[in-house]
Amino acid sequence: MSAGEILRAEGIDKRFPGVHALHRVDLDLAEGEIHMLLGENGAGKSTLLKVLSGSVPKDAGRILLRGRPVEISDAHDARTLGIGMVYQELSLIPGLTVAENIFLGRWPTRAGGLISWSEMADRAEGVLGSLGVQIDPRARVRSLSVAEQQLTEIARVLALDVQILLLDEPTSALSDRERDRLFGLLRGLRGKGVSVLYTSHRLGEIREIGDRVTVLRDGRKVGTLPVAEAPEDAVVRMMVGRDIRERFPKAHVPIGDPVLTVRDLHAGGLLAGVSFTLRAGEILGIFGLRGAGRTTLARALFGMTRSTRGQIVVNGKEIVITSPEQAIGHGIGYTTEDRREGLVPMMGLPPNITLASLDSVTRAGVIDHREEQRVGARLVEDLRIQPPTLARPVKYLSGGNQQKVVLAKWLASRSRVLIFDEPTRGIDVGAKTEVFHLMGRLCGLGVGLLMLSSEIPEVLAMADRIMVMHRGRIAAEYGRGQATQEDLLRCAVGLAGSRATEEA
Amino acid sequence: MAQHRETHASAEAIAAKDTLGVSEAWVMKLLLRGGPIIALFLLAGYLSAVSPHFRTTSNFMNVLAQTSVTAILAVGQTLVIISGGIDLSVAAMMALAGSLSAVSMAYWGWSVWLGLPLGLAMGTLLGLINGLVITKGRIPDFIATLGMMTTARGVALLLTDGLPVPSHVTAIQLKAYLPPEIIWLGSGTVLGVPTPAVVAVLTALLGWAVLHHTRLGRCALAVGGNREAARVSGISVDRTKITVYAFCGFTAGVGGLVLTGRLNSANALMGDGMELQSIGAVVLGGTNLFGGEGTVAGTAVGALIMGVLGNGLNLLNVSAFWQRVVMGLVIIAVVVFDQWRRRRFGA
Repeated sequence: MSAGEILRAEGIDKRFPGVHALHRVDLDLAEGEIHMLLGENGAGKSTLLKVLSGSVPKDAGRILLRGRPVEISDAHDARTLGIGMVYQELSLIPGLTVAENIFLGRWPTRAGGLISWSEMADRAEGVLGSLGVQIDPRARVRSLSVAEQQLTEIARVLALDVQILLLDEPTSALSDRERDRLFGLLRGLRGKGVSVLYTSHRLGEIREIGDRVTVLRDGRKVGTLPVAEAPEDAVVRMMVGRDIRERFPKAHVPIGDPVLTVRDLHAGGLLAGVSFTLRAGEILGIFGLRGAGRTTLARALFGMTRSTRGQIVVNGKEIVITSPEQAIGHGIGYTTEDRREGLVPMMGLPPNITLASLDSVTRAGVIDHREEQRVGARLVEDLRIQPPTLARPVKYLSGGNQQKVVLAKWLASRSRVLIFDEPTRGIDVGAKTEVFHLMGRLCGLGVGLLMLSSEIPEVLAMADRIMVMHRGRIAAEYGRGQATQEDLLRCAVGLAGSRATEEA
Repeated sequence: MAQHRETHASAEAIAAKDTLGVSEAWVMKLLLRGGPIIALFLLAGYLSAVSPHFRTTSNFMNVLAQTSVTAILAVGQTLVIISGGIDLSVAAMMALAGSLSAVSMAYWGWSVWLGLPLGLAMGTLLGLINGLVITKGRIPDFIATLGMMTTARGVALLLTDGLPVPSHVTAIQLKAYLPPEIIWLGSGTVLGVPTPAVVAVLTALLGWAVLHHTRLGRCALAVGGNREAARVSGISVDRTKITVYAFCGFTAGVGGLVLTGRLNSANALMGDGMELQSIGAVVLGGTNLFGGEGTVAGTAVGALIMGVLGNGLNLLNVSAFWQRVVMGLVIIAVVVFDQWRRRRFGA
C-alpha cells in the first residue's frame, strides 16, 4: 500500500450474459484525489463503479480499503465503509419530497420513532445549501427538472459524509453554471481529504478537475496517468485503441434509386419539418443528442407516433402510416433502441424471427410450423446465431446474439427500408463488428438503412451521409468523410448548422 | 447452386439437431413442468388408497362431469392469461349466456337450434365487449372484467327475475321446459362418458389448436410475452386482445349451456366463484400468470386436480367449509412451488 492510498481494486472481473464487462481490472484511489475514469460507452466504467458501490456483485477480484480486504455486497455495506455513489440513472422516488429522498431510509427521528420532519427539512436545506443550489426541500421530486433531480441525488450522497465518492456521469444533465458549482464542491471535498472517482465522456473535464486519469476499453484497463501527462489526443487514442477500419467494416455498395423520401415531416410535437431522401444501398446516419428528435423521427416513420404534417414517399408512392402494421406492409422495419422491445423472451428462435412476417408462414390464419422452422433455421445459420438451438427461449442468448435475432426478424420480413436505432448499444465489440458486417450485406441487397446513433465514431465510419438533428430539425448534413467529431457535436448542440443556413 | 444446397442442407441439419433438442426438452419439461401431473397422480393414488368408493368407474365419471364446467371456462381463461390479461367475468358471462339461452328456449319457444347458438353468441358478445372496453377504453383488464362480472350478473337477474329458468312454478303452470338436448348436454353420456366431459375435451382441443396452430395464438403469446415487441413487429395488440377476450366469452357461453343442462335449469347466480376456480386451474396448470407462456393441456390437468380434490374431500366427509380452506391453500402451495421451480431451474 502506497502512501495516501485509500482504495485499491485488484483483478475485478465481471461477466453479464453476452458481455465480459470487466477483465481483471486494477484501480487505485489516493486520499484526497479526483480520479477520472474514462472510456467509450460500454467500456465498463459504470460496471466498475457499481462493483465498488456494491450494487453489482463481482465475479472475481478483491477490494482493499486502507489496505484491508473488504466485502461490499450491497449499498448498506458501501455506506458503512464510507463509500457513496451517484448513479447515472436517477434513483429517486418521485412521489416523495426532496428532503425525504435525501435522507431515504435514515430519516431523523425523535422519541417514539416518529420522524422529525422539521429536523429533516433543516438538514436537507443545509446539504443543498452547501451545493449552492436553490431547491425547496419540501418539493416533490416529481416536480423538479432533471438537473435539479441530479443535484438532489448528489446531495443525498453528500449527506452521508462519505470518504469515497463515486460519480457516474454526474454532469450529463447539468447546465454549465450548475456544473461549475459541482466542481467547486468537489474541489472543496478534495481539500477535506475525500476521494472522488468520476466517470465522464466529456474529455474537457479532465483538465478542469481531474488529478489522475484511468482509461478503460472493452472492459480492460488501458492505463492510469497523471492528468499532466495525459493530453487529450493521447487519451482519445487510449480510449479508441483499435484501427478504425477493422472495427467498422464498411462495405462499398453502389447506391441506387430513392426508397424513402420524407418531406417536411412534423410529428410528436417535436419534429418540425424534417426532409430527406434515402436511397437503396445507402446508410444514412442520423446523429443527435437525447431529445433532438431522432427516435421521434423513427417512430413517426414506423407509425408509432402520429405525424401531423408532411409527406412520406416509399418506392415512388406517397403513403400514410398510422401503425407499425402498415409500416411493415410498406416494407419498413425498425429495430428499437432497447433490444428488449424487439424480442419475446420466452419464445424460441423461429417464432421470434417470423414475428414481423407471420403472413408468409400462415395459410388462412393457420401457422405452417415446418415452413417457420425452415425460415428460422436458415437465418440462424446465415447470421451464425449462437447457440443454434431453435427451441431455446431467446432470453438465454447473449446480447449480441439477441440483436442478431432482431435483425433476422427484419431480414425475414424482406424490408426495403430499415431503421436501426442504436444498433450496437450494449453488445460486445465482436458482436458490434458482426452487426456492421450485416449492415453492409443489407446494403448489398438494396436495402436503405437509416442508422440512428449517438456513437460518433460509429456514425462517421459507417454512414454514407450524416444528418445531425437538433430540436426536431435537421441542423446539418454531411457527405461521407466531410465531417469531424467536432462538427457533429457543434451542430448537435445548436452551435452550427450547414443545411439550415443553406436553405434559409 | 451447389452452395445453396449446402446452406440448405446445413439448415436442415440444424433443424434435425433441434428436434433432438426438442425431445430432450420434452423430458425436461415432463420433469420440471410435470409438477401438476405428479400432484394429480399422488392425489388420486392417495384417495384410491383411503376411499374404495373413489376408485369406482362411476365416481371417476362423476369427477369428470363435475370438473368439466370449470375446465371449459379455464380454456378461455388460459388464452386470456397467456396474452397478459385476466378475466374475472367468466362465471358471470356464463350465467348470463346460459340464462338467456334457457329463457329463449323455455319461455320464448325457440328451438334448441336457435337457443344454443344464442347462448354462444351472447357469451362471445360479452367477451367482445370486455376486449373493446379494455383496449379502446384503455382500462386495466382486472377492472374492466370486474365491472363485467357485476354487470352481467345484474342483467341475468333482470332477465330471469331472480328465478330459475324454468322454475317449478313455470314448469308446472306454463309447461315451460328445456329441450331434452340441453339436458343431454349436461347429464347425458357419449359411449359411457359424460357429455360435459366430452364437451370439455372438445373445447380444450379447440383452445389447443387456436394457441398452437393459429396466427391468433401466436399473437397472444407474443402480446403476453412482450407487448412492445409484438407491437413493433406489426402485430395489432388491440385486435389480438379483443379476439382473445371474445374467445374467452365464447367458452363461457359453452360452459353456460353445459351447466344449464347439468342443473336442469339456468339461474342468474349459477357458477358463483367459478371465475376464481378457472384462474386456479390455469395457474395450477403451469401457465405464467403474467402472460407469454402456458398450455391448455396444463390447464386441463389443473382443472382435474381441483375436481379430484373436491371429490375426495366430499368422499372423506370433510365439511364444505373446510373444503374451501383446503382448496385455497392448495392453490397457494402449488403456485409457490411453481415459482420456486422457475427460479431454481430457470424454466
